[in-house]
Amino acid sequence: MADLNDVTARVKKVTSEVVGVPVEQITAESRFVQDLHAESIQSIELVAGFEAEFDIEMDEDDALEVKNVGDAIGFIAKYVDAK
Amino acid sequence: MKLIIFEDAKYDNLYPLTYMRPSFELRCGATSLCEKITHAVGADSSAAFVRDWLGEVYAQKAEIPVNDPAELEGDVVFVNGRLLVDGTCDLKSIGPDEALKVGDTLVAANVTADTLAAAKEESRDAELPGADVSLEPLEAVLTALGPKLAVKEAEATMIDFPWLLIRHNSAMIESDFERLYTPAVNAEMPALSCMLGSEHIYIAPTARIHPMVVLDATEGPIIIEEDVIIFPHTRVEGPGYIGPGCRLMGGKIREACSFGPVCRVGGEVECVIMQGYSNKYHDGFLGHTYICEWVNIGGATTNSDLKNDYTTVSVYFKGELTDTGEQFLGSMIGDHTKTSIGALLNTGTVVGMMSNLVFSGQLMPKEVPSFCWMLNGRPTKGMGLKAMLRTARAAMGRRKKEMSPAEEKLIRHLHGMLKEDLRKAIKKAFKR
Repeated sequence: MADLNDVTARVKKVTSEVVGVPVEQITAESRFVQDLHAESIQSIELVAGFEAEFDIEMDEDDALEVKNVGDAIGFIAKYVDAK
Repeated sequence: MKLIIFEDAKYDNLYPLTYMRPSFELRCGATSLCEKITHAVGADSSAAFVRDWLGEVYAQKAEIPVNDPAELEGDVVFVNGRLLVDGTCDLKSIGPDEALKVGDTLVAANVTADTLAAAKEESRDAELPGADVSLEPLEAVLTALGPKLAVKEAEATMIDFPWLLIRHNSAMIESDFERLYTPAVNAEMPALSCMLGSEHIYIAPTARIHPMVVLDATEGPIIIEEDVIIFPHTRVEGPGYIGPGCRLMGGKIREACSFGPVCRVGGEVECVIMQGYSNKYHDGFLGHTYICEWVNIGGATTNSDLKNDYTTVSVYFKGELTDTGEQFLGSMIGDHTKTSIGALLNTGTVVGMMSNLVFSGQLMPKEVPSFCWMLNGRPTKGMGLKAMLRTARAAMGRRKKEMSPAEEKLIRHLHGMLKEDLRKAIKKAFKR
């Protein structure tokens, strides 16, 4: 099973790097577009960043449907578990 | 006598240009390597052998048999498809059961029916250690032929690297003009247009030249094919080849450009080869560059083709930064790739197929993998293969072309083959 604390910290780290919002301001409830002001291009960068960070390969269509940080943590944890 | 033109195992030297076509379909001058070889041999019939995963797509486009072992019979002249017929090597001078080689590379062989039959028989159960399996059974037959042929060391120009097509393009336009065209201005030239050196110009009857167009053939011939439209404020310098259905949208079409069919070209270009069906509609400079099919160059995209210290240009070749020996070299861009407005390409940049380069305020890296979206200077998978295929179909539909199931299968094969390169590039960029 993936360590959810570890996944959470790394998801926040990547998100912070891509959207330029400090880690401490990112919560599980943060929505990528509305709260973190991620543009469509940054959504693609987030997917690339998560894949590189966790060494996983996600389905692009499903990944781009993820709307907030908490959902991203759960989505990525499933891929980490499947490794 | 039959011509068999074949790809040897160095087709991968010519990536990304040869991902979707055999090496001998690459353009140099007014025509492809294949056309020049076919003309030089003057055979009664022709056939081709290409790597197996390209065979289905190429067979649909070629007008000759492809990868058919039944063609390996009778009197045959085999010619390596990377040969540039530039007068260095006389294909008609090869005697029966004689082969020409440059180093270890077979350039051409004239094989009699009996010798070929014997080699074919021997090759049936041959094992080929180290051989490129995708080129069997031809490679098995060529291996068996080896000891049966008298080998002569040849002087020949082989296209060992993609940038050699760019180097030779100017001379090839000139020799293709001499060989295939009679100077003639068959279309109406408006009063406010201008021709310099009209004795070196061919214009097809259905071409349309607008006023305020300058065709300057004082330094080399200009060929303007059927259904070309040249809009006002376009200056074309020879040597130049404008393929059927092209539109020149205004700008400086400087020397040594070759545009295959149905390209849209504007801005400033110099020594640019476009395979066909690609657009560089807007302002921005491209020089010493090869562009494959279905590429779109965004407005103000510009490349460098000369370093500020005038030293020779290096490119990433099979993962290693390699000195090309060329002082002028721009970009090599694979099929279906797009650049955004303002994209900046460094000297000697290699861009794979189906990629999307988005302006980030800095130069693009010198090597961009295939199926890659460059965003903020970093590679990503973009919207994924499904979206890329959707975009490719839309681009082809705009020119009344449809992606065949075989083409889609080939693209999916290439995606599988190349995705590890992209994965590594993404990982490297995001781990910085």
